Amino acid sequence: MIVCVAVVGHENNPLYLQSFTEADDALKLHHIVHSSLDVIDERVNNPKKSGSTLNETFLGLLYPTENYKVYGYLTNTKVKLIMVMTDLDVKDADVRSFFRRFHAAYVDAVSNPFHVPGKTTTSKSFGQRVGSMVKSFGPGATA
Amino acid sequence: MGREVAESCVDGVIMEMVSAYCNRFYSSKPELAARRIEAIGFQVGHQLSERYTMERPRFSDHLEAIKFICKDFWSELFKKQIDNLKTNHRGTFVLQDNQFRWLTHISIDASPDNVEASQQDSSSPTSNNAAQFTSMHLYFPCGIIRGALTNLGIPCAVSADISNLPACSFVVRIKA
Amino acid sequence: MAPLAPRTGDAVFANVERVNAELFTLTYGAIVRQLLTDLEEVEEVNKQLDQMGYNIGVRLIDEFLAKSGVSSCVDFRETADVIAKVGFKMFLGVTASVTNWDAEGTSCSLVLDDNPLVDFVELPDTCQGLYYCNILSGVIRGALEMVSMKTEVTWIRDMLHGDDAYELRVKLLKQVPEEYPYKDDE
Repeated sequence: MIVCVAVVGHENNPLYLQSFTEADDALKLHHIVHSSLDVIDERVNNPKKSGSTLNETFLGLLYPTENYKVYGYLTNTKVKLIMVMTDLDVKDADVRSFFRRFHAAYVDAVSNPFHVPGKTTTSKSFGQRVGSMVKSFGPGATA
Repeated sequence: MGREVAESCVDGVIMEMVSAYCNRFYSSKPELAARRIEAIGFQVGHQLSERYTMERPRFSDHLEAIKFICKDFWSELFKKQIDNLKTNHRGTFVLQDNQFRWLTHISIDASPDNVEASQQDSSSPTSNNAAQFTSMHLYFPCGIIRGALTNLGIPCAVSADISNLPACSFVVRIKA
Repeated sequence: MAPLAPRTGDAVFANVERVNAELFTLTYGAIVRQLLTDLEEVEEVNKQLDQMGYNIGVRLIDEFLAKSGVSSCVDFRETADVIAKVGFKMFLGVTASVTNWDAEGTSCSLVLDDNPLVDFVELPDTCQGLYYCNILSGVIRGALEMVSMKTEVTWIRDMLHGDDAYELRVKLLKQVPEEYPYKDDE
């Protein structure tokens, strides 16, 4: 289950942050997202050390915590997409496909002529689209 | 296959926008009109670069991003690539399109506002007006290029050179 | 050469030069946003969009007549049908439906459930009075004036304001009886 997603701008300014848990762990999730930003910077600046495929937008598993797995994605425009989940056994392809759709939704949201670059995304349709993506995530849910 | 519209829609809207800013809103302040037209282009370029880089790996340097503008980006907009790319290796790039579509497509005489303006001001020859209108037009594609590169992490200044019509050269100066 | 037989909207659209709708959509959006910044009053933005549309319509009519093979319409009823089925399709790639005729046959509604101008658009709360697509009403008014029909075009429904469709009311004010100018290939 996906418990949190975030979009973070190129100056590490939060653009969108949403958790999807009933439990009262929003603060903890925000902290996890925050810590993952450093991991992304580290990976992108030292691609050799981390051995990641050259410049691919999908950054893979950033780090596992005791209860969560954190995945990252970095666009050409230096926007970070982050996803936190509780599943232990997930297919890489499913996560990739999720990020592709998450990215597409973000791109549509910033294509709104009234969106101000660098400002938080308040778009209702973006929130709905991400919400339904998160809900439908799971084995077999992806095309 | 994505959605399409007739090319004349794009041509018409751009021409009318330039004409409105130059002849109606800021007729006595061409430099303000130019800045607004550039700003409209900037927003479009900013958004398009977000869309058109969606399915590709990140660029590793400035040259790669400029090449993307010359090839894929230009093809999406004009169905052709930039014909010639030159650089001085010190942050200046010259992108030349030998047949720039937006220059071959604009019909200056057809704009009602422009006709009025040239009639009122009979002292200035129409060709002069036409040249000014053409250069005003170019602020839009300059803004698009600047917006696209800025969003790709490359702050720059962009100007256009039309001394070789219908060829048009866009000069990109990357800010250090 | 004899005038071409009127073609279907699909056939005409297939034969015009087409571009990526995103460029059009984003360019129009950026213009509207900049107009709001520069003109400040939403009312004034509506007026300027309409004016821009009018100027475009005045010019587009020639291309429309030349490429569609439409040479003359019998009456306003047929004209409305041609705009909806051929005009919208040829330029925007979508068709409208014509409904709600009044008894005299001088005013009707053009209804669109989709149009490329509004892709990605969400209006901010400060733009409640904005007719975002007002350029369209101007285009129709301008184009019809070139074929001797004086019209008034107003928005009835707008999906950006929460309605279930886009509805334009087109009212014929005056018709100068005269042959339509049509272009033959020499």
